[in-house]
Amino acid sequence: MTTVPLRRARGDNPVPTAFPAPPDASVLRFDGSDRALTDQLLAPLRGTGVVWWVLFAVSAAGTAVFAFSCWWTVAKGIGAWGNNIPVAWAFAITNFVWWIGIGHAGTFISAFLLLLNQHWRASINRVAEAMTIFALMNAGLFPILHLGRPWFFYWLIPYPATMGVWPNFKSALPWDIAAVTTYLTVSLLFWYAGLVPDLATARDWLDSRLARRIYGIFALGWRGTSTAWRQHRVAMVLLAALATPLVVSVHSVVSLDFAIAQLPGWHSTIFPPYFVVGAIYSGFAMVLLLILPLRHAYRLEQVITERHLDAMAKLTLTMALMLTYAYVVESFVAWYTHDIPERFTYLFERPFGTYAVLFWIMITCNVVVPQVFWWKRNRTSVGVLLAASGAILVGMWLERFIIIVTSLHRDFLPASWHIYRPTWVDFGLLFGSVGFFGFLFLLFVRFVPFIAISEVKRLRHDLGENGGREIGLPHA
Amino acid sequence: MPALFPRWSNTVARGSLLAIVVIVCGVILGLMLWVRTSYATGQHASIAQPVPFDHRIHAHALQIDCRYCHATVEQTASAGVPPTAACVGCHNSVWLQSAPFAPVRASLSSLRPIAWQRVNALPDFVFFDHSIHVAKGVGCETCHGRVDRMARVEQAAPLSMGWCLSCHRNPTPNLRPRSEIVAMGWDAAHTSPADDSARIRLQHEYGVRSLTSCTTCHR
Amino acid sequence: MHAHDHDHPPELNRRDFLRLAGASVALAGLDGCSRMPAEHILPYVDSRPELTPGIGSYYATAMSVDGYATGLIVESHEGRPTKIEGNPAHPASLGAAGPIELASVLQLYDPDRGKSARVGSEQVQWERVAANLAPAALRSRVGGRGSGLHLLIEPTSSLLDEELLASVLTAHPDARIYMYSPMLGDGATDAAVQQYDIANADVIVAIDSDFLSTAPFHLRYARQFADNRRLARPTDAMNRLYVVESTFSSTGSAADHRFAVRPREVTTVLRWLLTSVINGDAKTEAPAWIAAIARDLRAHQGRSLVIVGDAQPASIRALGDAINDAIGASGKTTWYTTSPLVGHHVPVHKLADLVGAMDAREVDTLIVIGGNPSYATPRALGFSSLMRAVPNSGYLGLYENETARDARWFVPMSHYLERWGDARAYDGTVSIVQPLVNPLYRSIAPPELYATLAGTSNGGARSYDLLRASWTRRTSGDAETAWSDALQRGVTADAPMSRVAAPTTFPSDTNPFEGTAFEVIYLADPKIHDGSFANNGWLQELPAPLTQLTWGNAGLISPATAHRLNVSDGDIIKLSSGQRALELPALVVPGHADDTVSVHFGYGRTGSESAARDVGADAYALWPAVGARSEAITVTRTGAAQALALAQTQSTGAGRDPVHRATLDAYRASPSSVGQRSGRVLSLYPEAKPPDSNTALQWAMTIDLTTCIGCGACVVGCQSENNIPVIGASEVRNGRSMQWMHVERYFADNGADAAMQPMLCQHCENAPCEYVCPVGATVHSSDGLNEMVYNRCVGTRFCSNNCPYKVRHFNWFDYNKHLSETELMVKNPNVTVRERGVMEKCTFCVQRIREAEIAAGRDGRAPRGTDVQTACQQACPTNAIVFGSLTEPSSEMMRRRNQPRSFAALAELGTEPRVRYLARIRNANPEIHDSR
Repeated sequence: MTTVPLRRARGDNPVPTAFPAPPDASVLRFDGSDRALTDQLLAPLRGTGVVWWVLFAVSAAGTAVFAFSCWWTVAKGIGAWGNNIPVAWAFAITNFVWWIGIGHAGTFISAFLLLLNQHWRASINRVAEAMTIFALMNAGLFPILHLGRPWFFYWLIPYPATMGVWPNFKSALPWDIAAVTTYLTVSLLFWYAGLVPDLATARDWLDSRLARRIYGIFALGWRGTSTAWRQHRVAMVLLAALATPLVVSVHSVVSLDFAIAQLPGWHSTIFPPYFVVGAIYSGFAMVLLLILPLRHAYRLEQVITERHLDAMAKLTLTMALMLTYAYVVESFVAWYTHDIPERFTYLFERPFGTYAVLFWIMITCNVVVPQVFWWKRNRTSVGVLLAASGAILVGMWLERFIIIVTSLHRDFLPASWHIYRPTWVDFGLLFGSVGFFGFLFLLFVRFVPFIAISEVKRLRHDLGENGGREIGLPHA
Repeated sequence: MPALFPRWSNTVARGSLLAIVVIVCGVILGLMLWVRTSYATGQHASIAQPVPFDHRIHAHALQIDCRYCHATVEQTASAGVPPTAACVGCHNSVWLQSAPFAPVRASLSSLRPIAWQRVNALPDFVFFDHSIHVAKGVGCETCHGRVDRMARVEQAAPLSMGWCLSCHRNPTPNLRPRSEIVAMGWDAAHTSPADDSARIRLQHEYGVRSLTSCTTCHR
Repeated sequence: MHAHDHDHPPELNRRDFLRLAGASVALAGLDGCSRMPAEHILPYVDSRPELTPGIGSYYATAMSVDGYATGLIVESHEGRPTKIEGNPAHPASLGAAGPIELASVLQLYDPDRGKSARVGSEQVQWERVAANLAPAALRSRVGGRGSGLHLLIEPTSSLLDEELLASVLTAHPDARIYMYSPMLGDGATDAAVQQYDIANADVIVAIDSDFLSTAPFHLRYARQFADNRRLARPTDAMNRLYVVESTFSSTGSAADHRFAVRPREVTTVLRWLLTSVINGDAKTEAPAWIAAIARDLRAHQGRSLVIVGDAQPASIRALGDAINDAIGASGKTTWYTTSPLVGHHVPVHKLADLVGAMDAREVDTLIVIGGNPSYATPRALGFSSLMRAVPNSGYLGLYENETARDARWFVPMSHYLERWGDARAYDGTVSIVQPLVNPLYRSIAPPELYATLAGTSNGGARSYDLLRASWTRRTSGDAETAWSDALQRGVTADAPMSRVAAPTTFPSDTNPFEGTAFEVIYLADPKIHDGSFANNGWLQELPAPLTQLTWGNAGLISPATAHRLNVSDGDIIKLSSGQRALELPALVVPGHADDTVSVHFGYGRTGSESAARDVGADAYALWPAVGARSEAITVTRTGAAQALALAQTQSTGAGRDPVHRATLDAYRASPSSVGQRSGRVLSLYPEAKPPDSNTALQWAMTIDLTTCIGCGACVVGCQSENNIPVIGASEVRNGRSMQWMHVERYFADNGADAAMQPMLCQHCENAPCEYVCPVGATVHSSDGLNEMVYNRCVGTRFCSNNCPYKVRHFNWFDYNKHLSETELMVKNPNVTVRERGVMEKCTFCVQRIREAEIAAGRDGRAPRGTDVQTACQQACPTNAIVFGSLTEPSSEMMRRRNQPRSFAALAELGTEPRVRYLARIRNANPEIHDSR
């Protein structure tokens, strides 16, 4: 690549023509030049305020806790956790499923909605994708950390070993590894491919030569020729087509970690859809939790409009209802089987047993709270949205904990029943991983255009061509 | 303003993309090849012993039966390394006073064993039993190679689990009459189809089964 | 990868320790990741026919508890004993062994054992001590006739000891010998002991007697008891056991009718029973159930028996004798013999006499041989301080324990596996005690001390020579042949003790401590006995029968009492009587007598034994007097609490009834209703064809819940055979118990009955653990074993989650990391020592199976199901566990398996376990409805 031709104004790349379906004006209310838009969206790359530093310090501390807890676990053994027999799985697997679930919203928003021509996704997909990747990085750590002998994790991968034996493909776990790694790879590609034009924009927009060189390297020599744009578009759609099935498949596979077992509370055919719904549910909550502060901090009200909040809230409510349905069906089936252990787990142990408090908190967070979204005022109120999504994230973590621990700690033979109590290492890993996630996300916000500039601009131009008339999705 | 990147950086960019793929695959493939090398398996490594005992002389030239020294090979899991007394049985008249025999003399006087170096080492969760292999018609040579041609005994087989399994899955080709258990070079001399059918007969006669249950070796 | 954690074994046993290093060194070698570490091969300098590397050898010997011997066979590898088994030829064993015997091999290697002699705090050689003990040297202290010399010995039945003690008295005519153990109390010096013939008793009434699991000779009694209730067919005859006791014991759990009474009610019950037996159906104020028992006893004249616990005072046991006379039991199912303990040729005195002498400052030289009187005596006696006041006190013992601390000089005593000697069984049968190893430390055996005191040796005499000499003296005819024969069989030709008349004691007519609120009852601990075995991790970690308590004791109370005191498990209660007080956690046991607290001896140790120190509470602090079984006590709630290390936290079956139970009548009425409730569960997959004799052997196990008494021998036997680590109280509390065999206990909701279910890997044909393991570390073998491959396991623990029986155990930490060199020596070289992070579980003793197959293969024959005995089966006193092959229909295992009462645990899950249980049948007396 040679120099960037001077005749084009910096950061003002030509934009190809729009999608077939006309967009909805309410998703973008920016009244300034493209240049102004670029300036606003790239502003964080020039430096951030004190709030960022405070948050960064906190999350860095969290990351340190995470690192220490991991080291402690590997050095001392899984015994450092509260796990026991019967409760051989607990926090670590809960965290794993939780993070994987959170990851799902990213792909759902960027890929799924892209294929469905949901234009409003343009302004939040970058954040969602980044969130996916960071969540997956967390999620991927736990299963390995969770092994008794993590240094042999590669035995779960099929390769011709001198031992002359292979993994057991009947088990869900080798498929788990396949699913998660595939998911991570595709998400990474998708995220990066979408990022390239914006990195180029940043390259051309920044002043410091070093910064421009660095961004230049990652921009892979993007020049914004119309050919490039056309191919880019094709590539994105193809990747989207690739990623979309993963939204469904990955968490289905994860759910099989439980569903293939015969344990009361795990042994259930509803798990795959139930888990996928739960995943997207928690994912949306996390996206909301991330974009609302960003929107406020970087004055993005015109780019991330109430229309977005409204749409997100509606989707969240939908997911909540589907999840509630799953809860009801589970318990009904348990009652219907007349099987003593099944009935015990669903109808006694969970609602009234050792961990009953957690169960009711979960019901409140996942079923009751989202009902506020029946009212438009709540759907567009930042405060309500933040509170609700926080509650949902807690609720979804508890849901996984209850599925795993209440089922295990009292299963078939009363003689083997035993209570589970987490240790400081368990909590260290849970909160540490949250810190680590925040750490990565803050870096992302600081150094990467966290709103898909090119897509927003494209959207803008489409709107322009439509004379800003509000068509497409009916306005709620 | 000057160019942000020189022209050659295009090549570098393309190159590095390729390099990433090559390196990742290369490392994995490399490791998988390495574990199959004799360096990793310890095959054919020449190991010095406290006493320069030469199997060529004893097993080949003097035609001493393996079982004279490895006496428990037919009764127990371990083939048995001879007690110092066994050496002296023959050597009290010859060589005993010579320099190479110093460790033997020391062992006799101090009543402390000679510290031989282990050549064929199995992981300790592997429970290998010599006696049953011998009883089922698997010769010394089959695993230990032409010991009668080794100045220093070396590990003849990779001793990897895959190698064990190859025989445990299909033992027939490695069978021989019990009378030939200690014979060296017997396999090379018996490769005709007739011998194969003979081996199948042996398999039935000795009741040789393909044992691939994990607990056959791991307990 | 921790490959070096235990890679530094003693050179001598190098080759075995390579196996020890097993799992961990393995890591390095796995999949050729790195090269094997350089290893040495150390052959013997001289060939030894009796010592072939890789082949275990077996020797007969005998272990004494309270002086009564149990014949054992000890497995030894390259000269180190690794496993204890019962000696079938010995009357006290009949092939079985109890937890204490099985665990004694660990005691041999206990790193806390006394390692060298000392005088004051100065370490010396034994010979130095011996010099001062020679008669000449000693007379200057204790007077010409040795009146100042006092020997306190633990009970012994050794003929050699008796001979040598006699010669000590020849050297010091006025010396005094005392014999004491807390459990025998003053009974140690009784001239006669009571014998029972359980085999010929159809109706047995046990009153405050745990004769099936803690009394002397209990292994034999348990076998005889079980043999009369095998029920090969529903129509078979079955004996009937009534148990009247305060504390729920193993015997109580085996009872057909159990009645919980307060200690002070025992006398009342006995008197009622006596009158009912004598007066027949004439009207009596006795409750219906006692009258019914009396009728049952009389209906079986001469084939019935009443057993009153040894711990009861003679005056109360005399009531039992009276009943036995009335029902014609005396002379038939019970009789008295002279005591097998020493005291017939030398006068032995009671502890009280010694205390008196010490009080009177008459004791110049006190030598304590074995036992631990400073700890195991009523604190009120003040033995410890009295002993400190003795000018010249010495102690010959295994440990530098409480007594050693009070003694001026100490000499380490040889473990019974290190020394020569002889001992009598409860019935008098003589066994030779032969050592398996030379003493690990500079220790001596009691005979060597006696010889020194007698002046027949200057400390150099070895007990072997002393024993041979005595043997030749007392053997008529060819002593040599008799000797070798005795060593091989483990028993000698000597006749058992002769019968004598019952001691004449007047039956008690008094009712002790009327109208008290609470009573405490003092019991021998079923695991660590009187505290002698408190430093044994296998015993400490063995869940106590019924309570499931490990690592400590507790005040056992009934639910009603708990409610009345407003305490629950773990709440600290204070027992006090006058100056004496004891604080310990409460533990609620259904079926326990109300207003009564049971306390076990042996805990709260303060000696140098690191594992035993500060575990549990010291009941001797409260014990009022030697021989006291119970007393009135005040119980208060302190408000403090402590977490108990319980191996099982649920007390009942929570309405799921995992154990099938029925009365004999119900079973006979409809046999099929008792056993498997559902047949083979329907499956979507094609039915596996049932194994036939053409296929390889198909291993399976049958466990009879009617004869299981929950003694825990199987648990310790398994722990010893399979290198199962000891993990400590906190890990047990965390629910990480490692024992492959766990005797699960389910109380009936009313507490009247407790069913035991030994739970081990069920070796399911459709194993839930197998299909979820991602690396195939647990798979099925061609002979029907569910295999666990430690070296393949990565530790996902999915298998445990999916195991409905929860019989899989995980190495949460490296539990073998901190073992001492000697503790490593107890490991079985044929079993991998598991590394951190891998699963483990019962393998059906696959190492024994494979070795049997290899042996058969060498002999060119097909292996038989009867070639293999599992460790649990071998240990079981009641033969409740049988092992064999499904392909051998005539085998005992199959005959039991085909009984109508056989069932699979959780059959409805369709796992098709290879382990089958026989339903718990109780021979209920139709006249009795109110089991209390």
